[in-house]
Parts: sequence; C-alpha cells; structure tokens
Amino acid sequence: MAQTRLDRNEQINGWAFVMPALVLLGIFMIYPILWSLWMSFQVGRGNSFSFGGFANIQRLANDALLVQALLNTGFFFVVQVPIMIILALLFAVALNDATLRFRGLFRTLIFLPCVTSLIAYSSLFKSMFSGDGIVNQTLMSLHLISAPLPWLTDPFWAKIVIVLAITWRWTGYNMIFYLAALQNVDKSIYEAARIDGIPAWARFWHITVPMLKPVILFTTILSTIGTLQLFDEVNNITQGGPGNGTMTLSLYIYNLTFRMMPSFGYSATVSWVIVAIVAVLSVIQFAFARDRRRPS
Amino acid sequence: MSRNVTRWTRTLAVALTGISMFSVAASAAELTVWCWDPNFNIPAMADAGARYTAAHPETTFNINNVTQDEINQKLQTQLLAGVSDGLPDIVLIQDDNIQRFLQSFPGAFVPLSDSIDMSKFADYKVAAATHEGKSYSLPFDSGVTGLFYRSDYLEEAGYTAADVQDITWDRLIEIGKDILAKTGHPLIDMDYNDDGQIVMMMQSTGQWYLKDGNEPNILDNAALRESLEVFQEMAQAGLIKPVSDWTGYTGAFTSGEVAMVPQGVWITGTIKSTADQAGKWGVAPLPKLNDVEGATSYSNNGGSSWYVLASSQNQEEAIDFLKTVWAEDVDFYQGILVNQGAVGSLLAAREGEAYKASDDFFGGAPVWQNFSNWLAQVPSVDYGTFTPEARLAVRAQLPNIANGGDIDEALKAMDSQLRQQMQ
Repeated sequence: MAQTRLDRNEQINGWAFVMPALVLLGIFMIYPILWSLWMSFQVGRGNSFSFGGFANIQRLANDALLVQALLNTGFFFVVQVPIMIILALLFAVALNDATLRFRGLFRTLIFLPCVTSLIAYSSLFKSMFSGDGIVNQTLMSLHLISAPLPWLTDPFWAKIVIVLAITWRWTGYNMIFYLAALQNVDKSIYEAARIDGIPAWARFWHITVPMLKPVILFTTILSTIGTLQLFDEVNNITQGGPGNGTMTLSLYIYNLTFRMMPSFGYSATVSWVIVAIVAVLSVIQFAFARDRRRPS
Repeated sequence: MSRNVTRWTRTLAVALTGISMFSVAASAAELTVWCWDPNFNIPAMADAGARYTAAHPETTFNINNVTQDEINQKLQTQLLAGVSDGLPDIVLIQDDNIQRFLQSFPGAFVPLSDSIDMSKFADYKVAAATHEGKSYSLPFDSGVTGLFYRSDYLEEAGYTAADVQDITWDRLIEIGKDILAKTGHPLIDMDYNDDGQIVMMMQSTGQWYLKDGNEPNILDNAALRESLEVFQEMAQAGLIKPVSDWTGYTGAFTSGEVAMVPQGVWITGTIKSTADQAGKWGVAPLPKLNDVEGATSYSNNGGSSWYVLASSQNQEEAIDFLKTVWAEDVDFYQGILVNQGAVGSLLAAREGEAYKASDDFFGGAPVWQNFSNWLAQVPSVDYGTFTPEARLAVRAQLPNIANGGDIDEALKAMDSQLRQQMQ
C-alpha cells in the first residue's frame, strides 16, 4: 500500500516536473508546427486567406525561383561542406601534435570566427570582397590577376564568396569536435604504426579517418542542416543576388514573407520542402552510419 | 447629513481631478514617428516637429530611426497579426511599396484626403498613394531625377554643359565613350542588385512594370525593352563600373571615379558631401529614350511619404501636425531644402527663397528651381501591388543582360518569375 502511494507520488511529482516544459514545448514548438502545416494549404494575400487544397504544391512545381534556390543550396552543400570538413580535419590533426608550440593559441584563433557576430563578419566580407576591396587589391599587387575580379557582381564569384565566408566561420567549430575525438584515440596505435614503418599520410588515412568516422558523420549532418538553413550570410553579403545567384531556400522564404506581397501559405509550403529535404538527407546519413558500425 | 455632503464633495472633487488629469493626459500627445536615414528624413521630421511644438507645446515627438526593411517587416507582421501595440502614429513608406499595404490591409491607414487638400502636391506623388478614390499619404520627398555630371571630365573630353542638356541615351553613350577614351573614367556606376537605373528610364515614358498596377507589363513594354538595350550597350562598352552595394555605389562618384550619376534629387546631399569637388559638378535633365512614344526627360526614383496609422491614439494631432507643417508651411520646406537637400512635393514650396537660390557647388546653377520645374512634369504611373516582386524579377536578369545575354530571353524570364510570384 505504502509502496503504491510512493509510486503514485513519484509519478505525480515526475509529471509535475515535466509538465511546465511540456506545456511550453506544446505552445512554442508543436502548435506552430501544426499551424504551419495547416497554413501550407491556405492561399491568399496578406491576412485574407482561404483553403486552397493542393494549389501551393502545384505552385511549387512551376516555381523556377525555387528550383534556382534549390540548385544554389545544393551547390553550397556539395562544394562547401566537403571543403570545410576536410579542412577542419587537417587543422585538428595538425593542432593535435603534442610537439607543436602555441597549440592553444592556434586553436583559439581558428575557433574564434564562429563566436563572432554573423552581421559583423558578413559586413566585413562584403567590404573585403567589394570591387576595390582589400582582396582584389592584394591579388592585383601580387600580380595574380590583372583586373579586379567581380566577386560580388557576378553570380558565380558571389557563390564563391559565400563559400569562403561560411568556411571561414564554421571550420573552427567542426575542428573542435575532431580535436575532442582525437584526444580519445589511443596513442599506442600510432606508436605501433610508426614502429611498423607506416608513413604519416597512411597513418592519417588508415587510422585517424576511420577512428573519427562517427564524428565526421555527426559534423556532416550538422553542416547539412546548417547549409539548408543558410540565411544570414546571403542576406547580408549579397541579398541573394546578383541575378538570384546566391538565393537560398531560407532567403526565398524570407522574401516571400517580408519583401513581397505576404503569401504566408506558400512560404509555409516552401518551409515544408526544407523539412522534407532534411528528413531525406538525415535518413541517408543515418543509413551510412549504420553501415560503418557493423564491421567493427 | 453634513458629513455625507462632505463625502460627496470629496468624491466629486477627486473625480473631477481625475477627469481633468485624464484630459490633460489626452491632449498632451506624444507622436511616435518611424523613419529611416539620419541625414535626411530624421532631421527633416525633427525640424517639422520643432515647428509644431513651438505652437502646440503640449505635443511632443518621439522620432525613431528604423530602417526601411524593418518598417516594412514590422508593419506587415503586426498588421497581419492584428496587433497594434508598439506601432507608431506616423510612419514613412516608400512610394512604390505603399499600394500593397493599402490593398492587403484595408483600414490600417487613415485617408488623409478627407482633411488635407491633395491638389497642393505633385500629381504623381498623390497618385502613388491613392486607393479606391482616397489618398492616404502626406507626400514628402520627391524622387525627381536628374543627370548629375562632372563638368571637369566633360570638358576634358571636349564637351560643354550644353552638350548634355536634353539629349537622348544614345547620345549620352557616344559622349560616355569619348569620356572613357579621353579621361579613363567610366560614365556611371551601378549595383546590379538594384534596378533603379531601369526604373528611371522606364518611368520617364509613363510606363511601369505592371499594367493598371495588377497585370505584368514586361513582354510588350517597349520602354522596358529599350531601357534594357541601353543598359546592355553601356555595360558592353565598359561605361558602367559595377559595384556591389550602396557604399560602393556612392564611393564610386564621391571618389571621382565615374563621370555621371543619373539619380533622384535626394542624392544631392551625398554628392555635396565632398566639399573639395565644389564647382566641378553640374545637373542636367535625365536623357530621353530614343524611340519610345511619350518619352520625356523627367522621371522618378525612390521618394517616400508620411502615413498616419489608423491604430494611433493621437490621430487628430498627427493629422493636424501634417496639415499645418507639411501641407502649409512653405518656410519649413526652405529649411529642409538648404539643410538636407530635401525637395518636397508641396508645389507652393517652390515659390520660397531657397528654391530660387543658385548653388555654387553646381557652378552657380539654379538647381533647385530646375528640379522643382522637372518635378511637375514627371509622368505618373500606377506602381500597383506587385512592384517589389517585379523589381526582384528584373534584378535577377541584370547581370546576365550586362554580360551580353539575349534581351528577349531575359524579358521572358522576368515575366515568368513575376507571374509565378503574383499567384
């Protein structure tokens, strides 16, 4: 009897502790998510909307700008994520070398970009890469180029600037994960390999990379989600231009909601496109993760 | 009984005090204003506020520096949510953006044509904010355009000021090629994320991206086509220095890099900010498009107006303020013209002293008189609801056109992007 009362008390207390969080979660997460799902079936302008069935989904199919945003986001995903992951890995391995002096300083310097303000660094990149900016001036004085590169006025180069900006900002963040993981790798493995005469690159390729595989997958998933939500940099550096060359899905949603005639139903539909893509990519990446775990 | 009487008197006294305090509070209005640009709109509004406060000491002003993007965003979000808390009494909105607010949020703004005579203002400014027969704006700064040019570069290339008066864009391209060849300066600079140049050329013929404000006017728009052709020719001839943002845009002419600036009159302040270039500048009317019917040398770019929100608790004061200062006080306009280079849309203001003065910075020309004469001749267009969509669609094609892309293809792409966004 006493036992059951204790059980019940524990249950009540447990729920009482969890309830405030659940209520907040319900109000600020679950309700908006359900609401946006409902919104994605509404058509109309401003606050006069009505149920439109699959009209928004049909609109998706004919939306060239959405395709452009998807392609741009895909470009950032395919080009930037691998570059950043590889760089972060190389930095981490280099800075994990116990014989390197000022390791702490280097680690801090590489990590610092990801604690700077998004707006501040975007403005800085914008001015550095402007036509007469420091980048063009440096390249010209080194005689690497003869005329200023159209960094921000040409769709292709603008994409490159965005890639450079995100890489600068997020490489240090990923490096920290790798550094942490490297601390857990048993040094004796490397010693054994060295005694067996394995060269440095092979130690990196055949020992470090396989040992870090779970962390690499984790950072890849994080970077994937980050890339699909890419907004601040493109909004501040290029505003999606020139010629929609850097338009991303998030910026497109923002434009649909705030820069154009408010079309909330359609922008909710586009948001659900991102949800769908994140879901699909995550499933694929989890599948990879499972495959890798089996042999070990 | 006497005690009762006292109690009643006391209650009455308290109640009366309360009421009188309440009424004092009600008439001591604080008008909150949202506008952008601390060098232009904010000091102009502060000056207007000071003039009103002098005669109405109980009214005070709280002028906030809010960017244009933020104004659009906050208004849109709050009007949509039906929450008026924290919205200002008076707000500044750019002319080509107002129709979508008037049409998507009926009743959100107070129609000012009920209390203010709109015939005192330039027609095209009033037309921009008229919806269902009522006008909602107190028209403020004009975006009337001019061709600002470096007279010293012009001379170096063998031309005089007369050579750029009332010319066509084709002629300007010839002059631009000479200037580039002889002085090495590109003719103009341009941000390909901004279609202001195209807007100016197109509106000078009375055409707009939209027909009757609602139907895309892209494919058969002769003025737009010719504007794009002119733009392409200039870009291909190296007459345009591409820049990437506003700082780059203004930097290219304040540093003396480019020879000319076709722009709204509000750029005057920026051009005059370089005191060492005094006397080296001149202003001519905008060039005309060559083969478009109804082409003029007068156009508009930018320009904004004041609106009173219907949610304001101080509507009467706000309207009275706009009426007595912004719609009547000719002296006030002389002050903001001299201090901020603000050419207002009140036609009577042109009769003031400052408008008649000549300006040594522009070689002693009566620039303000010129601008206000041009102002009255700007063809009015119906900006409609989908101007932001149309402008985004046009901007998307500009880099491609500058690189020599096919204009027919670009027009088709603009049309289809605009139609897609208008659903």
